[in-house]
Amino acid sequence: MQDNLAQMAASVRRVLDDSDLAAPEQASWEQLVELGWLLVPIPEDLEGLDFGIPGACVLLMELGRRLAAVPFLPAMLTVDALCQSNWKDRKQWLEGIIGGKHLATPLAECAIQVEQQRYLGMRLNGVAKAVQSANDAKYILVWSEESARIVLVSLAQPQVEVVSRRTWDSTRRFFDVRFDEAPCPARFVIAEGAHAKSLARRLRVFRDFALAADSLGGAIALLEMINDHLITRRQFGRPLALFQALKHRCADLKMLTVSAEATLWENLGRLGRTSDSSEAAKAALATKYLACAAYGKVAEEALQLYGGMAMAVEHPCHLFFKRAMLNRQIGHAEDCCEIKLADAFLAN
Amino acid sequence: MNAKSDVDALRGQVRRWLQDNVPSGWRSAMTGTDQEAFVRAQRDWFFKLVQAGYATPHWPETWPGGGRTLAEQRVIFEEVAHADAPRLILYFIALYHAACTLFERGTNAQQDKYLQGILDGDIWCQGFSEPNAGSDLASLKTRAERRGDHYVVNGQKIWSTMAQYADRCLLLARSSSTGPPQAGLTYLLLDMRTPGVVVRPISQITGDDEFAEIFFNEVEVPVEERIGEEGEGWSVAQTTLASERGLTLVELSQRMRYALPLLAAAIRDKGGSGDLTWHREFGRLVARVDAACAVADQYLLKRIAGEEAPGDASIVKLCYSRTLREFTSLGLAVGGLESQYDRGFMRGATQETGNWMVDFINSYNWTIAGGSDEIQRNIIAERLLGMPREPRTWQVPEGL
Repeated sequence: MQDNLAQMAASVRRVLDDSDLAAPEQASWEQLVELGWLLVPIPEDLEGLDFGIPGACVLLMELGRRLAAVPFLPAMLTVDALCQSNWKDRKQWLEGIIGGKHLATPLAECAIQVEQQRYLGMRLNGVAKAVQSANDAKYILVWSEESARIVLVSLAQPQVEVVSRRTWDSTRRFFDVRFDEAPCPARFVIAEGAHAKSLARRLRVFRDFALAADSLGGAIALLEMINDHLITRRQFGRPLALFQALKHRCADLKMLTVSAEATLWENLGRLGRTSDSSEAAKAALATKYLACAAYGKVAEEALQLYGGMAMAVEHPCHLFFKRAMLNRQIGHAEDCCEIKLADAFLAN
Repeated sequence: MNAKSDVDALRGQVRRWLQDNVPSGWRSAMTGTDQEAFVRAQRDWFFKLVQAGYATPHWPETWPGGGRTLAEQRVIFEEVAHADAPRLILYFIALYHAACTLFERGTNAQQDKYLQGILDGDIWCQGFSEPNAGSDLASLKTRAERRGDHYVVNGQKIWSTMAQYADRCLLLARSSSTGPPQAGLTYLLLDMRTPGVVVRPISQITGDDEFAEIFFNEVEVPVEERIGEEGEGWSVAQTTLASERGLTLVELSQRMRYALPLLAAAIRDKGGSGDLTWHREFGRLVARVDAACAVADQYLLKRIAGEEAPGDASIVKLCYSRTLREFTSLGLAVGGLESQYDRGFMRGATQETGNWMVDFINSYNWTIAGGSDEIQRNIIAERLLGMPREPRTWQVPEGL
């Protein structure tokens, strides 16, 4: 990690360490708006802090450590989409987001048709899945490489239905947004054609890196908890950490988290200006896969190593566990990562 | 900015040199060949590298090719991997372990006596492990008894790479049995032609005999061949073991990345069966190889910045060894019956040759040697996670 990013991480951690795990969404959101964290990835010419995708990932890792409830991850994507577009109203919308207005966007891969219909204008059909805190937003940003259009759609219209989907992960709130011939005025098309495709590729890369960062933050924090537990908890007259079978499992978890984190910084370091290339897509897939696999493994081991206490709802272990399991399935889902990474090689 | 452009320029130079000089067809020439032909090929490659200055980038700048920064050394290792050049197995101990130990701990007289010899082709081996002191190295029992101006060595070493060809040996022996086991060790430089030294190559399960046992019977070593003081052997040995500073794993993990197409080809060759299990396992492996490369690289950057923490190196080693096992195990599965036919093995190669049974067996070298996976896990848990050390005492339970 670069020095300036490390400094930012340290100052963000000082703020977050004072808050609870999975702290209430509203207050946390107000705090991060006030602290200007939404400015982090915005380029200098748009009056941001210019830390790009790596900067966002640093924040997301810290938020992941604390199981943040706030929709900061989708906000990073919408902010980036606006910054990278040539849309004429982007400045005004950016100001709105920076000021705390939530703009929703899906975190799952989903097929939504955006079609120009004769006489009727633009119409959307399909379901946007894993849309975080959608009920707090007035608009949703819909993007996909396939449709070659990136659009903003009002959520307050009869052809759009926002449906709460209660996930096992209780640290975040997710919704489906269903479009049934939902209209979208031409002035809300923020990118089209080749530019939209390239921007969508970039957003996918950003999203996968962002989910990797959230996962790594959680994995590292949870491993620290397990570690403390094994050192303090005594059975058979000695600390659990003296049982080599358990100690070695923790060492394996450490290896998994350190190597996944190394991959994150290594791949972000190489990202540069090529965030929409196929190389960047592969790097993001591998990073997302490794980080989520590490989080999943740490979480599974946490249940076992904490034993009975992890099965009780008062203990925070299950919050990490459930968030880890969900993170594997949003963005590029785990099996999809594996297959795409293999395809990239096998196709040659 | 200057440092970076220097490094880029070096990369270009090394790459061009390798294109012109890597012996073409060395892989097929080294498959099924005998040890003598391999030694000749290693010698030729060694002298080419020495002449070009690429064998000694880690030596001080007073030596030809020396004085390279860690960042520059990394470039050389990366390019060697990228060019799929043969590994310099026969001379590695001489160039790294022996040379670094001499530079850091040797006397002027010892440096004068041995360093030029290394560049002239002296082969060194390492005499550390013993049949009963592998992971528990400090418990070694080979004796070095002081008699006048000599030490007299008796005992046995094992797993010495290429000891049958070695001119000299880095020998760690016990000069005292009092105090903690680490305290009684002394470090000696041994001429392998000294009377009483017997080397016996070990026939390995791959058919190779890359390792050997060394037996010592009343072997006399002059006192001036001692490095450090008597009883300081453990700390000198740590210098020896730290000598390659993570560069090997930068090279080997990159080589593993460049070998992925070999495995991809094997999966494709199985033809249209569309086995999704292999397909997915391969995808998983691609990510893991990425991680092994990244963790080695980030570790080296930490070293360059002087921020290495005790235990960091163990993560790199464990990550590499586990990934290599996954790589070769998938190769073995995909290889099917074909991989069970003995087609000989390739000398001087890395662990990924496409001869999957041999590759798979060789992957155990990495989970056992150089501090086994279990030792690495102990180090990670104790140094990085702050967990308590194993209790030192153990009593035989009653009735046994």
